[in-house]
Order: sequence, then structure tokens, then C-alpha cells
Amino acid sequence: MSATARPRRSPVPSEPATPAPSREERPAPAAATSEAAPSQRPAAPPRPPRPFLLDFFPLEGSDQTRLSRFFERLREGRLSTTRCPRDGELHWPPRVACPTCHTEELSWVDLPEHGRIYAFSAVLGGAPLGLEADVPFAVGLVDLDGVPLRLFGRIDGKPWTELRIGGAVRVEPYDVGDGRMFYRFRTVE
Amino acid sequence: MTVRHVALVGGVTTPFGVRPTTWAEMAQEAGAALFRSMPDLRADDVDSLFVGAAEPERFAFQSHVAPLAAEQMGLKPRRILQRTELACASGQSAIRSAYAAIAAGLSDVAVAVGVEKMNLPSMAEANASMGCVMDRPWDGPHGATAPPFFAMVAQRHMLEHGTTPEQLAAVSEKNHRFANANPHAQFYAKTFSKDKLMRLPIVAPPLRLGDCSSMTDGAAAVVLVAEELARKYTDAPAWIRGTGQYSDFHNLAHAGSLTEWPGLTIASREALGRAGCSLKDLDFAEIHDCFTISEIVEYEALGLCPPGEGGRFALDGRGDIGGDIVINPRGGLLGCGHPLGATGIAQAVEVFEQFGRKAPPARQVPDPEWALVHNLSGSANVHSVMIYQTGGAS
Repeated sequence: MSATARPRRSPVPSEPATPAPSREERPAPAAATSEAAPSQRPAAPPRPPRPFLLDFFPLEGSDQTRLSRFFERLREGRLSTTRCPRDGELHWPPRVACPTCHTEELSWVDLPEHGRIYAFSAVLGGAPLGLEADVPFAVGLVDLDGVPLRLFGRIDGKPWTELRIGGAVRVEPYDVGDGRMFYRFRTVE
Repeated sequence: MTVRHVALVGGVTTPFGVRPTTWAEMAQEAGAALFRSMPDLRADDVDSLFVGAAEPERFAFQSHVAPLAAEQMGLKPRRILQRTELACASGQSAIRSAYAAIAAGLSDVAVAVGVEKMNLPSMAEANASMGCVMDRPWDGPHGATAPPFFAMVAQRHMLEHGTTPEQLAAVSEKNHRFANANPHAQFYAKTFSKDKLMRLPIVAPPLRLGDCSSMTDGAAAVVLVAEELARKYTDAPAWIRGTGQYSDFHNLAHAGSLTEWPGLTIASREALGRAGCSLKDLDFAEIHDCFTISEIVEYEALGLCPPGEGGRFALDGRGDIGGDIVINPRGGLLGCGHPLGATGIAQAVEVFEQFGRKAPPARQVPDPEWALVHNLSGSANVHSVMIYQTGGAS
């Protein structure tokens, strides 16, 4: 199930009643942004096809989600989200409607590439289908630098036994293995 | 609108554990056991059925489970038939819905049944099903399931308050000790010392196997009736006096400090306020110990001890028989196992049995009058609370 292999309509739905978040706005205030060159991304191991209802990774094509822009920007090395231009609220995850003022005219903003670990643990067993081969792996909550967002994510790099609260990590977009993109964190020396 | 009083007049639990039975067979077991336990209850009396089931689509490849459960139990609901899904609180959700229906006059006799089949040939598939309780497309791909989330709660609690592995083990030892005297429990007749618990394998650091509740098959059912019908079925009804619920997030980005669960404080105050009783009136509580750290944070959020002192509360035995209040005399989720849809119902069955002085001596609470039942669901992002009172008059 690959976004690039799927039939694509226009990246922005044309229905005026339900516009997708479309306004570009970058960089985000107080957010240091940088772009990872595609060559820096880890090679994606091939991913066997999986029934959709047993696959954790989201369908990212514009024929499936109004948030396909998120994945397009991820492919460019940018972790981004939506922000409400009216009340300035930064969302996570990205949204199609502001939960506060209910406008659907949202802006895309890049998020900081760096953050620090607030809490972490590791999956040493009992992993969900599709992630068993990754065991053991670390996960954690990461405070992104300069924005009020604490994101949950996989933490690669150092083994979990060497992680520490407050440790520095950076955002790492990666190819899921079937053409789709997702993100995780990687420890910074 | 006049609100009617509602009584819980009977209840049963099937054996919990790794069961060689299907979802539908456990619904049959619960129904048959319920009618056997209540000779005065006829199938025709039951006008409504509420079915707590978290993930039958995943665990049993079965949707539309409310009429399935009705058929398995020999019921033909003529007023309200519905399934309630609230992950780990699906069972309590069924009871709350039945309570609301009876209080409002839409039902007179309702059964709330909870069923969950969780042990599958592929446990990786079962774990994937547990993972989709979280915000699946955003948190799920990272490997978010319950153990690493509650492990982070434990890590922060240890950092901020000095909570120790021994304090976690004290919770597990207590609840396993109670389960040791509960024939329906997954860990019935099994003993776990603190030393043994602290040597079990790590599942998600810092949590070890004994800090985590299990994947469990099981079912439970209760009967709720309008006040004027209570004496028809029992001399010792458990009266539902109050209920409360609160939810403030779903994606893990919004889990806040992890160590404070204000939603539980709000939900329990709502429930106690409606019941017109205080925390000090409670004789025992069935609270959601899906992990040892959960019970510790719940002591604090309920107000049984100051913030940060839940670990010491556990180690000092203040939640044990002879302490301030008996916590989880049934054996908890840690000792009984945690069949998601059945857990909240089984807790209510425990309230009925404790009020009726029917619990084995090793875990009978002395002269109980008031009890609190709590379930969290998901990543502690929903808290559901009910207050029960024993007694004669409605």
C-alpha cells in the first residue's frame, strides 16, 4: 500500500465546503527548522504487504486523507503540523478543523527538528504484529524545542539502557518500507 | 423527570484466564450462571440488555454482538439492546447505561454483561488489537501499547516522587494475595511474594511481568432493577448511589505530566457528590490496577493520600485489610486478569458479594456499607467511577 503507487487526485480536495489545510506558513515562530537531505535517511527495509486493518501506518494519499500534505512534507524531510491562524493554536496531530474556533482554514507549519526526552520506556516483548522484528525498541515522549508540544515516538540510536530523561533527540523521517513515510526520533550525541 | 433509585440485585463471574472457549460460549456461560444464581429471575423479566465488549471485531471477528449475546443468554430484549465500547471500561459503561435507563424509567429490569476473548493463536495479532486502543495512525506506528505508556508513568513517578520497585511490588503482592482466595481469578491459588515479583522479567522498563495485568478470557453479568423490584430478587441489594466520568485527551501528546490524573479526581468527586458521601465513608474500592503504578497514582488522584505518596501508601499496607480502606479485595486486574469488557462487571459482582458477606474470609471486608468502583480506559485518558451502598431501604 504505497502512497506513490496509489491513483492520486489533486493533493488539495476541491470541495469548497471542506477545504484541506492549505496555507503555507513557514517557518513556525520559535521553531528552528531544517531539512534532512533524502540521502541522510536510513534505507528502508522491504515491508511485506499487510491487510489494511492490521497495519498501524496510516494511508497517506490524498485519496484517503485530507492530511496528505503532512506526508508530502515528511518526504521533504519536514515534520509539520497544522496551526489555527485565528487563535494561533498549534495542533498535534495535524487536523482539518480547529477544535477551538472550528474553522477549517488551517495553516501548515514546520516543527522544530530537535527535542529532549521527557519520559521513555522500551518494548521488550509483546509487540504488535508487524513490529515483532524490531524488539527490543525504545519509545518515549519528547518535548520539542521551543514549541509547547510533547510528541510520543519511537526512539532509535542508543539502546534503551543508555537513554536518559533530558537526553537530546532529533526528528527523523523514514520510509516505512513500502513507499509510505513516517517519522521517529534518533538520539543526538 | 423523576429519577428512580436503581439496585444491583445479582451477579456472576465466569472463570477468568486462558480459556478454551469462544466469545459466544462465554456469553452462554455468564447467562446460564446468572439464571442459576437467581432462581426468582425469569428471562421474560429482563427487558433490556447492555453488552460491554471492547474489541470483539478484533479478538473474535464478530460485530453486532448485542443480539448475539442476547441469543446466547436466552434473552429477547424488548426495550433497550445495545453494546457499550469504552476499551478497558466497556463493562462499567454497560452498567452506567443500564443504570441511566432504569433511573429514567426506560427500563425496569436490565442485564449488563461483559465478555472478552483475548487469547488468540497469534498473540502478536492480539497485541496489535490492544495497540489500536491508542490513536492508531499517530501513536500506533511507534509501537504504542499499554505497557510502555504505563511504564513511562512509573518512570516519571519514580523520578518525581522516589517511588520504588518494592512499592510497585507491594501493590501486586496484595492483589495477588486476594486473588489467591478468588476461585474465578486467573491467578487463583498462586502465590507471589514481593521478592518473587521483583525478580520476574522486565516487560517495559521499569515494569516487570508482575506489574502488568494479563490478557484474559472471561465474562461477567449483573442484574439491575428499579427500586420497587429490588426485594423480589434479593434481601441484600447494592444501591447505585452515584456515578461520574471524565475524559480530557486521547493522543499521547496530551497526556500531560503522566503522574497526575486530574480526570479521576474530577470523576470521583462527581460520583461521591451525587452519592452524598465522602471518601472517608468508603469501606472498600475496586480500582483499575491494570498496572501496579496505576493503583499508586489512583490512591493519589482519589485523595486517599497526598500527591507523590502513593508508593508509601502501598508499602505501608494502608490499602490492605486492616488499613485505611481495602483496595481491590477481589484481587484486582493484576490477580484476576483483565478481560476488557468483563472487568467492570466483575468489579460490580464483587461489590454485591462483599455487601452480601459472601466473599471468602481471606478477603471479606468487615461490615462494608459504601464502595467505589473505578475503571480507567486507554492511556488513563478516561476515568469512570460508580458509588454503591448496601442497606435495606432504597
